[in-house]
This record gives sequence, structure tokens and C-alpha cells, in this order.
Amino acid sequence: MLLALIVLYVVSLLYLSIIERFRHYVMILALQGWLLFGVALLRWHASEWYELAFVVTETLIFKALVLPAILYRVIRRTGINRVHTASVAVFNQLLMSMGLLLGSLVMTYYMAADTQFDMVFFGVALYAVLSGMLLIITHKRIFSHLVGFLVIENGVFLFAMAIGVEMPYLINIAILLDILMSVLMLGMVIARIGTRYRHMNVDNLDSLKD
Amino acid sequence: MMTVYLLIAVLIAGLMALARSHAQVRALGYVFYGLQLLFALSIWMFARGSEQLQFFTFDALGMLFFGLLSVISLVAFYQSNVYLAEDPLHPFQTYHISLLLLCASATAVYFSNNLAVTWVFLEATTLATAGLIYHGRSASSLEATWKYVFICSTGILLAYLGVLLLSTVTIHGDLSYAALADVIATGNPLYLKIAFVFILVGYSCKLEVFPLYTVGIDANYAAPTPASAVVSTVLVNAGFVSLLRVYRLFAQTPVYGWVSGVLLLCGVISVLVGAVYLRRTNHYKRFFAYSTTENLGIVLIGLGLGGVAVFAAVFHVMAHSLVKSGIFFNVAQIGRIYGSYRINRIGNYICVNRLGAVSMLLGTVSLLALPPSALFISELMIFKQVIASGRWWLFGVMVVLLCFVMYSLAYRLLRLLYKPVALPEGEHAVNRLVTWSGFVLILLAVVLGIMQPDPLVNFIESIIAW
Repeated sequence: MLLALIVLYVVSLLYLSIIERFRHYVMILALQGWLLFGVALLRWHASEWYELAFVVTETLIFKALVLPAILYRVIRRTGINRVHTASVAVFNQLLMSMGLLLGSLVMTYYMAADTQFDMVFFGVALYAVLSGMLLIITHKRIFSHLVGFLVIENGVFLFAMAIGVEMPYLINIAILLDILMSVLMLGMVIARIGTRYRHMNVDNLDSLKD
Repeated sequence: MMTVYLLIAVLIAGLMALARSHAQVRALGYVFYGLQLLFALSIWMFARGSEQLQFFTFDALGMLFFGLLSVISLVAFYQSNVYLAEDPLHPFQTYHISLLLLCASATAVYFSNNLAVTWVFLEATTLATAGLIYHGRSASSLEATWKYVFICSTGILLAYLGVLLLSTVTIHGDLSYAALADVIATGNPLYLKIAFVFILVGYSCKLEVFPLYTVGIDANYAAPTPASAVVSTVLVNAGFVSLLRVYRLFAQTPVYGWVSGVLLLCGVISVLVGAVYLRRTNHYKRFFAYSTTENLGIVLIGLGLGGVAVFAAVFHVMAHSLVKSGIFFNVAQIGRIYGSYRINRIGNYICVNRLGAVSMLLGTVSLLALPPSALFISELMIFKQVIASGRWWLFGVMVVLLCFVMYSLAYRLLRLLYKPVALPEGEHAVNRLVTWSGFVLILLAVVLGIMQPDPLVNFIESIIAW
């Protein structure tokens, strides 16, 4: 079951590279939130129940419900719809994403062998982080950049699971609040940029230079 | 004590949000910054070395930079009131709340004894700084805010990956620096190297050094100038303290040689960036922001060299904070008088504000690291260490780059003081108290250049003893 969820997660990352509408981005991020919730739930045995209960609740509320809601709100407020200004063709993006998947697997084999890491989690986490970066690099619309940031964040979450790190509650809550506030702030800035610029491309944001 | 400080910060920020007038915001601000100064003094007298709230320790490193923060933020608050007095209430409130929260989160970074807590409050500084950058509500401030929040958040997220990698060596996920110091030498060298690179990349957006220095430059440009003084010093120091704590850990590992190499590389590239862009930019705030990149590049080189250069690096950051904040406070006055920060539109300052001109002269001479500047002492120590370590290539590169830096600084200073320009109509009068507030900080750095009191030297030595 766990493996099936992870495979679905990888498919969702691949699908991210060919999406053409912002709403689909949000749907995929919400799906990833639910998948991560499932993964956290299935790893119940790995730690103390109350610690995992916190992680599971956090994942469900934050990743599967709150973040998609914030993103939908940004889409409604700005009226943005199509991801038509990628600087790389969709097919090429898919190829690049597959290349990153392959690279992540090779790197995982090299890095995570003979360690305490969960290799599957480690490889997929690495692929998620790289996919987020690819999304940021290959897309011109700043909303895509926000999605890329959240994909990286999901990758970091998986990475924490691969390592099996257990941080105190207070720190976990603080980290969660930090990321939530960042996303809220980025969403607000995107909304303001949307009222000032029609296309919301990074090309509009190049006045600060020497 | 830390609980009281954080509670007071949150309480006063909340009261500022509810304030109905500028006077109320100002009064609350003076209460907070006054209490902060008292807090610094009481830590020094009663609570040195004590642990607070499990995650904070009043150690020498934190105390040194918190002392600087208390002084600089008080002056910044005073100057902000002068420059933003005519702003509408809402942006005025947002600005002051952001400034207060930035100071509180930077304080938490200084005193944090846990890697994860440091990370949490560094990210909090990003959010607080965003409020300062967006103050102008213009297209450029919007652009700077987006870039700052997005790049800093992504960078800090990468630093979190580094933190997670470091956590692989810990027992039960204890990420306190003390616990990490005990076990870090047993870590997998490959993971340690990757962790350090991620952490350095993440922290570089606060330190304003290569690779993520650009967001700091834009933040300095877009924020009101008194806030730029805080961003260029208090926030940069938060990045430095965080890096120094990680550096102390890595100094005990087998990968220390590799870490030194990375720091030297980033340091040299930062100095190169500073040298190139100090010549290119036509905006005084960006100009002095690039100077921060150059100076922090020298600091990274000091850390990379190790030995006595680590002492020099700490001393350099401390002196740089005094000089740079003093310069920014003067630049704020210049911008107000001329109605612009464009270098080609400003000149003849010696006739407009003699004391301010002397202050800028002294500040720039200090940045040039000429005697009697405190930066002269630290750079001399770093150069000595470069020669002692036999890195002649580094010596050559640094000399060439610093020549470019000196030329740019001297050229722009002479232009500012003597270039004949027509003063704009209806210019603001010179505010003597504002000029003095910047001048005193620069004078303090000069005094440190002339004599380094033994207690201060011993204090810094206690910071670098590990």
C-alpha cells in the first residue's frame, strides 16, 4: 500500500511537468497532500503514536486542505488560468522531469545505500525537490514559482520521513507556522502583482538591476 | 528573561496594531526599544551564560550582537519616526510592527542554542523584513518583496534540508549545538559536506554573500533607509551568528578542510561581486549594500582561513555593523535633502551639511579599511593569516579586488562631497540630531580601530574558543 502511494506521488510529479492550467496545479498539490497524509498514516508503527498523530493531522490540515484553499483563492482573485508562458516546451519539460527521476534514482543508489535512510523515500524526496526547482526554472508565471516552492516543501517533508527525524512539538509547530506564513505572504504578493500587471510573468519583475 | 522579552515584543506589536495615532505607535516603540536596551544590560549583569526556555542561551556570541542590535535598532527607530512622520497611519504601523518583529526574531536567532530553532527564527526574519520592504507600495518595492520572500523562503528551505541531513548524526533528533558538537565527527563525510553546502546557500540570503546575495541588495534598495541600516547590520549579523555556530560544529569534523575551501570560494566570489557592482551601480543604497557583500565576503575568507582570522572575522562583523549603520543613517539624511539616491544627481554635500559630510568621509574611510578604521585591524589580521597559510594566489586576488573597491568608494565619496550640483527646490533642512546619531556610531568604530580594550578582546576570544 505504501509503495502504491509513493508510485502515485511520483506520477503526480511527472504530471506536474505537462499541466497547462493553474487549477490542475492546485488539484495535484491537494492530491499530493492526501498522498503524504496516507504515507504518514501508514508509517504509524515507526514512532510514538502521539508524535505521528501530530504529523498526520498537520499533513491533512495543512497540505491537503489549507494550502490548496489558499491557492484557489489566489487564482480566483487574480483570474489567472492558463500556464501558457513556459520558457521550455511541454514535451521537453516531461523529458527533463524523467531525466531528473532517473538521476534521483541513481543518486539515491549511490548515496543512501548502507545507511539508515529509507531508500524509496529518499529517492522520491530528491526527485520532488528537483521537480520543484525545474518548475521554477522553466516557467515564467510567478504562480508556477509558488507551486514549485510548495513541491520542494513536500519533497523536504518526504526527506524528513526518509531520515526519520523526530523534532520536539514546539519546533514542529514553529516550522509549520513559518511555512504557512510564507505561503500566505507569497499569495498576497501574487495577488498584488496581479492587480498591477496583466500577465504576471517574471519578465515584469526585472526593474531592479544595476 | 527570554520569555519576558518575547512576550513583551508580541504584546507591544499587538498594541501597535491597535494604536489610533502616530504618537501612540511612537510611544510604544520607545517603550520597546528602551526595554530592549535594559534587557541587554541586565543580561550582561545578571544572566550571562544562562539557558532560557530550553532553546536559548545567553552566550558571549549572542550577547555581543544583541548589544549591537539594541543600539542600532534604537537609532533606526528614532530615524524612522523622523522620515516616516508624514506617512498615513496604516503603513506607519505596519512598518514599525515589522521593524519590532525583525529585531525580536533576530534576537532569538542570536541566542538560539538549537539548529532547528535558529532556522525557525531566520525564516521569521524573512517575513518581518518583507513588511519593511513593501513599505513604499511601489512597483519596485512589490518586486523586491516578491523576490525577497520567494528566494529567502526557498533558500531557507534548502537550509532545512541541510539541517535534516545533520540530524542523521544526532541521537533522538536532538539538534542543540551542544549535542551536535558531541557527535558530528562521527557523521558520514558525504552527508556532512552536502549539509554544509545547503546550510550555507540558505544562510547566504541573510548574510548577503554569494550565491543568494541579490535579494539582500534589493531589500536594502526598496526598504526605507533607516530600515536598510537594520537589514544591512542586524539581519546580516543574524546570518553570521547562525553560520558561525554551524562553522564551530564543522571545525571538529574531518571535512573541515573542504568546508574551508567552500567558504574561501564563496568569500572570493562575494568580494568580486562587490568590486564589480560598486563600480556599476548608480544608487547610493545599492552601492552600500554591495559594500556589505564585499565586507561579508572578506569575513567568509577569514572563516575559511581559520586560526587568528576567525577572531578577525568576528571583529570585522562587529565593526562593520557600527560603520554601515552609521553610513545608512547618513544616507537617509542625504536622500531626504536631495530627494533622490541617484549618485549622479547628488553632490556638494560638504556645503549642505558639514557634519554629515565629515561623517560620510569618516565612514567611507572606515569602509576603505584605512587607519584608524577598526576594519583596518581585522583586514590586516586576515591578510597576515593569508600569508601565513601560504595562499599567495588568494593574497593576489584579494589585493586586486580590494583596489577596485577602494577606487569605487573613494571616487563616489569625492563626488558626493564636492561635485557641484544644483540643490532641489524646497529641500528639507538638515536635522543635527539625525546627523549626530549616525556620526556617533561611526566614531565608535574609529575608537575601536585606535584601541581595542582588553575586555572586548577577551570577550571575542571567548566566542571563538571551541
